[in-house]
Amino acid sequence: MTMEEMTQSDLDNTKLESVAHDILMDLVEDACLGLCFEVHRAVKQGYFLLDETDVESMKDFEIVDRPGVDIFGQVYNQWKNKECVCPNCERGIAASRFAPHLEKCLGMGRNSSRIASRRIASSNNVNRSESDQEDNDDLNDNDWSYGSEKKTKKRKSDKNSNSPRRSKSLKHKNGELGSHFSADQYRYHCNSGINYETLGPDELRSLLMTQCGVVSEHTKRMCTRSLKCPQHTDEQRRAVRLSLLGPAAPALPDGDAVVESDSYEATNGQQVPIGRLHWGGSSDVSPSDSTSSKASEFFGTNNSVSTKPKKKKPSLSLSSAGQGRALGGGFGALHGDLGPSNHRKKNKHPVTPTAGIYEDMN
Amino acid sequence: MHGNAMKRVNMSKESQMRAAINQKLIEMGERERLKELLRAKLIECGWKDQLKAHCKDVIREKGFEHVTVEDLVAEITPKGRALVPDSVKKELLQRIRAFLAQHSAL
Repeated sequence: MTMEEMTQSDLDNTKLESVAHDILMDLVEDACLGLCFEVHRAVKQGYFLLDETDVESMKDFEIVDRPGVDIFGQVYNQWKNKECVCPNCERGIAASRFAPHLEKCLGMGRNSSRIASRRIASSNNVNRSESDQEDNDDLNDNDWSYGSEKKTKKRKSDKNSNSPRRSKSLKHKNGELGSHFSADQYRYHCNSGINYETLGPDELRSLLMTQCGVVSEHTKRMCTRSLKCPQHTDEQRRAVRLSLLGPAAPALPDGDAVVESDSYEATNGQQVPIGRLHWGGSSDVSPSDSTSSKASEFFGTNNSVSTKPKKKKPSLSLSSAGQGRALGGGFGALHGDLGPSNHRKKNKHPVTPTAGIYEDMN
Repeated sequence: MHGNAMKRVNMSKESQMRAAINQKLIEMGERERLKELLRAKLIECGWKDQLKAHCKDVIREKGFEHVTVEDLVAEITPKGRALVPDSVKKELLQRIRAFLAQHSAL
């Protein structure tokens, strides 16, 4: 067959094939060369024959290929089927379960004390409601099956109401979450529930004298924070008092909410912003995400205060989110200065010290 | 045009094409990838160990102290080429053909 008799596509195909083949052979040769260099270097540097020793050692470490045994000659589940006799309760226990059983049997070790205290706690609760003797016997027998059930039940109820996790998703709803701040401190308090429906009017009144009391939409519970709790406005507190105690509700010791909000917006006073900033000083240990939400809330309300909010606000609030608590005080001082000066030129001055502070922090 | 002249013209065109393909292979990083792939496969299939054993023999033959790269290359490369398993060859050829189909000017 001459070249002219083959069709053009056949020619192309054979060409392509030969090209591909040549490329492959090039690659293989590269690989061989690479190996040669490697070996040559190993020989000249003296590490080529390192994995060869005398015949006896070679025999010692030979790969083992017998059935039931791994390549080192060790048996895998040697102790799996062995049974031990517990010295305490004289029962036969499987070897792998022996250690945990001993822990519980002897009443020593971390878990057993936890289980015991839990049992005591729950048995106190159970005794108040009706309980059988048989239930307690069951407790003793199947210590870790029954016990683990109890554990999970408790855990679920603990997670339920006031955990910080849960409140994260609801973070942006308007300020009804007094609970996540106080979750750790007030856990037992909140779990038992300050259900305003069950309290008498006198108790309510005394509670409302000292506590914020705003009812959270999600948990239907009253906020147990102080009267100046920044999660809720005074308007909310008044509303709660009105609705719960009637129009004869005692006035809030803070003074009129209306007046305060006006002065807050109009005068751009130095006093109000700094006063608001003292959430750094209050008792709660705020997690960083709540701090950032607070910061943005804070700057959101301050929008009317400064005339140049667009340029400054994003950078400030971003960095506040990053370094929230520590900068609380410093911020306040700066912002107090910025407040009254509504001119553009003046605003430039304070900006540079701000940047300076951040550089130090960073 | 007659047969031989035709062949010559085709040859130079062909070599041009080869050069172009090789260049493209290198430029797009495909050659490196193919090289790594080949190396990995050769180690996997035991080719490297086989050849290393052969190296040992060659070295013992030539004398440990006097072995040169050229000796090794001369002895190893033909054997290495022959020892490549067919499966590895097939897989690499597949990849090369795919590349050519995508990027050749034909």
